Amino acid sequence: MSSAESQTNESLADVAAAQQHAQESGMADREIKQAFENFAEANPEYYSRTFLKIQQDKLSALHLNLSAMIGGFVWAALRGNWMMFWIGFILDMMAAANLGLFYRYTVAKAAAIEAEKAFLVERFSSWTIKHLIAAVVIFIIGRLIIGWMADRSYYKQYSAWRINSAVNSGVSKKRWIIAGLIVTLVAPLTLYRSTQDAPDQRACIKQVRAVQDGKQVSFKDRFDCATISEVPTLTWLKRPDKLQFVRNDDGTRTEQWTPSTAKRPVNVNTWLSEKIDQSIDRAKAHYGHVFDGITKVLRTLLNAIEAVFVGTPWPVTAGIFLLISYHFAGPKITVFTATTLVYLGYFGFWQTAMSTVSIVIASTIICIVVGLPLGVWVGKSRHGSAIVTPILDVMQTIPSFVYLLPAVAFFSIGKPPGILATVIFAMPPMVRLTALGIKQVPESTKEAALAFGASPRQLLTRVELPLATPSIMAGVNQVVMMSLSMAVIAAIIGAGGLGFIVVDALGQSQVGRGMLAGIAIALIAMVIDRIVQRANRSEQ
Amino acid sequence: MNSKASATSKPVIQVQDVWKIFGDRAKEALAAIRENNLSKAEVLEKFEAVVGVREVSFDVHESEIFCIMGLSGSGKSTLVRHINRLIEPTHGDILVGGDSVGQLNAKQLRLLRADRIGMVFQNMALLPHRTVRDNIAFALELRNVDTYTRMQLADKVIDTVSLQGYGDRMPSELSGGMQQRVGLARALAADPEILLMDEPFSALDPLIRRGLQDEFLELSKVMGKTTLFITHDLDEAIRMGTRIAIMKDGIIVQIGTPEDIVTAPADDYVADFVKGISRLKLVFAHTVMQPVGEYQQRGGLTDNNEQWPSAHPEADLDSLISLAVDTDQPIAIREDNNLVGVVTKDALLRGIQGES
Repeated sequence: MSSAESQTNESLADVAAAQQHAQESGMADREIKQAFENFAEANPEYYSRTFLKIQQDKLSALHLNLSAMIGGFVWAALRGNWMMFWIGFILDMMAAANLGLFYRYTVAKAAAIEAEKAFLVERFSSWTIKHLIAAVVIFIIGRLIIGWMADRSYYKQYSAWRINSAVNSGVSKKRWIIAGLIVTLVAPLTLYRSTQDAPDQRACIKQVRAVQDGKQVSFKDRFDCATISEVPTLTWLKRPDKLQFVRNDDGTRTEQWTPSTAKRPVNVNTWLSEKIDQSIDRAKAHYGHVFDGITKVLRTLLNAIEAVFVGTPWPVTAGIFLLISYHFAGPKITVFTATTLVYLGYFGFWQTAMSTVSIVIASTIICIVVGLPLGVWVGKSRHGSAIVTPILDVMQTIPSFVYLLPAVAFFSIGKPPGILATVIFAMPPMVRLTALGIKQVPESTKEAALAFGASPRQLLTRVELPLATPSIMAGVNQVVMMSLSMAVIAAIIGAGGLGFIVVDALGQSQVGRGMLAGIAIALIAMVIDRIVQRANRSEQ
Repeated sequence: MNSKASATSKPVIQVQDVWKIFGDRAKEALAAIRENNLSKAEVLEKFEAVVGVREVSFDVHESEIFCIMGLSGSGKSTLVRHINRLIEPTHGDILVGGDSVGQLNAKQLRLLRADRIGMVFQNMALLPHRTVRDNIAFALELRNVDTYTRMQLADKVIDTVSLQGYGDRMPSELSGGMQQRVGLARALAADPEILLMDEPFSALDPLIRRGLQDEFLELSKVMGKTTLFITHDLDEAIRMGTRIAIMKDGIIVQIGTPEDIVTAPADDYVADFVKGISRLKLVFAHTVMQPVGEYQQRGGLTDNNEQWPSAHPEADLDSLISLAVDTDQPIAIREDNNLVGVVTKDALLRGIQGES
C-alpha cells in the first residue's frame, strides 16, 4: 500500500470514527436524560433540562427553583433532600420565632400603655418593629437560599444516587409524614417559647416548694416550668448530715456527725457536692501528714530554685541568662533575650518574673523526673500503655482551670499546690513524647543491637534513649511552655508571680497594669521557647 | 573450598529438626501437623497459626558459605534468626560449635552473640547517632572492651572493608553500598567464627551489589569465616554459595552444590527457578561428555583424536565453547592424559540449553 493511499484511508477512518462518535454521543444524551428523568420521577422535563444545563455549565448564576422557593422545606422533604430540609426548616423557624417575639412585645406594649409607663412603651415598640423586620427578612432570604440551592443540591443528590441507588430519588409521601413528625415535635413548643416570658430557675424552685407545701399552682405555670425553663429537677434528697473532725489529745481525729437542721430536701447536685466535700475533709483529717509531707518537699525544691533566681542579684542573673542564650541559640536570639530582660527590669517585673520562672523550672524538673520513666514504661510495655494512655487522654481533655480544684482541695492555697497543679497539667506531653520516641525506634535497629549481644539495659541506654532523644527534647519544650501557662493560671490559688499581677489587675479592672504584665509573660514564653528549640536543633 | 572438602570437616552449625510456628496455639498446631501432615493454609485456618519453618535440618561446615535461597515469605529470614536465637524455635535444636543454643541462659546467649556470631542485615540497621567507628565497635562496647582497644580493633576492620578515612563520619553521610560495608565491618569487628548475612546486598543497586559480592568472596577466602548467607536471588546464591539450600513455604526443598541444583533440580519448583540461570560456569565437561566407550561404539572415535582440542573433566562449558569455536573437531576430555570422554558440538549445545 502506497503512502498516499494509506493517508486517504486514515482520513476516511477518522471521519467514520467521528460520525460514529456523534451517533454514540446522541445516544448517550438520550441515556443521560433518561437517567435524570428516572431520578426525578415528578416533573421530569424540568429536572432533566436543568441537570443537563448544570452538566454543560450553562446554568444561570441567578437560576432559582420556583417550586422549591415556594414549598421551602416541604419541597425538600418531598424530594428526600434532608440537608435542604433542615436548612429550610431552621430558617423558617427563625422567621417564625421572630414573629412570635413580635407578638410577645406587642402584648407587652399594650400592657405598658395600660400601665402608662412611657419608657417601657418606647422600648417595646422599638423591639416589635425590629423583630417584625427580622421575621420578614429572614423568611425572604431563607426562601431565596432554598430556591437557589435547590437544583444545585438536588443535582449532587442525583450524583450520589448514580453511585448508590439507595440514595433518595423521586418523590415520596412517606417522607412528608416523617417531615410532618419533625415539624410537630419542634415547631409548636419553640413558637410557644418565643411568645412567652419563660420563668427562671429560682421561680421554678419556688413553684416546687409551693407544690410541696400543698399550694395550688396553675397548669400553665407548671407547664412552663416543665418545658421552657431549666430541665426540671426529678430527684429531691434529704440534705446530708454535717460532719466534723474533732482533734483528740493524741493528734488523731474523731468523726462527729450533727443531724442536718435543714427542713427542705436538696437536689442531686447539692447533695453530691456536700458528700464530696466530706470525703475530702476525711482524707485531709486522717492523712494530713502525707499532704503536708508533699507540700514540704515541693516547698524545699522551690526554695532552692528561688534562692538561685530570686536571691541572686539581678546583674548576675541577667548575665547568666544572656550567656545561656548565646551559647545555645546564637547572637540573634540573644538580642531578643536582652530586650526581654530590659523590659522586665525597666517595668519593675524582675523579682516577680524570677518567681514565675522558679515555679516553671521546679515544675519542669518534676515533670522530667516522673514523666521520663513513665514514658519509657508506656513505650515499652503493653500494660503501661493500657494503663497510662487513657489517663493521659482524660488529663488532656480537662481544661487547665479544673486542675486547680484538687490542688486546692488537698493542699490548700499557695505555691506548692500551684506547682502541683502545674505539674499535673504539663506532664502528659512528657510521657507521650517519650513513649512516642521509644516506639519509633525501628525494630530492625533494636534487633541488630540484640544480635550483637545487648542486654535489656544496654538496649535502653545505648539504642532506644539516644534514638528517642529528639522526641524527648520536644517533650521537654512542651513541658516548659505548658508549665509557664499553668504557672500564670495558678496565680488564682496564690502561686504568685506575674500571673498574680494579671489576676489582681483583672479584679480591679486595671487593664493597663494587667497588659504590661501580660506582655512580660509573653516575652518570657517566647524567649524560653526559642532557646529550647534552638538548643534541640543544634544538638541534632 | 569445595563441597568434598567441607563435607569431611566438622560442622560448625547444626540445625536439627527445627520448627517455628507463629501463633498462640503453636504447640497444638505442631502436634497436629506432625500427626496429620496439614498444609500451611489448613494450619492457619484451624489454629490461627503461621508456619514459618517446617522440619528443617542441615549442617554448615567450617569456612563454608552456605546459602539459603527462597522467595519472600519462604521462612529464610526466620530460619537464620534461630541460629543466634533472636527467634525461639517451637521445636528442635541448634548447635553452634557443638553447644546447644537453646540451653544457654541470658548471659551466655549475650556472650555467644557478642563473641561468636556476627550478623549483617538487609537494611543495615546502623545506629544513626554514632560515627562509623562507634557503630563498628558496637559489639565490643557491649562487652565492655575499653575504648582504646575498641578503637584499635575497629580501625583494623575499617581497613579490611576498605573504609579508610570514613571512621569519623556519620552513617547518614555514606551511600548505601558504603553503609553495608559498615554493617559488614560491625559483624567482623569482634572476629566471630560465624557470619549470618540476611540478604545483605539485596537493597543495593546491581553494580554495587556485584562489586560487594566479589569483595566479600575475596575476604571470605582470606578469613575463612563460616557463613550463612540468605538471599532471594538464585544468581547471587550460585555466585556466593559453596552449597545452597532452597526454601519454599518453610521447608527446605533441596540442598546441594550450585551444579547439583542447576543440573539436577529436585522438583518442578526448583527447575522453574533454575531455568533462567546461565549454565556456562556451573556445568562441567564430565556432565555433558559422552564416555569414551559409548562414543567408540557409535563409531565416532577417529585416530586423529590426538589433534583434537582437549580439556579437563572439570572444565566448565564456558571454556569448552572457547575451544570449540576454533575447530570443527569434537573436544577430547582427558584426565591425566587418558581420554575419558568426548564432547561433540551437539552435546555442547544441548548442555548449554540444559536438556542433557
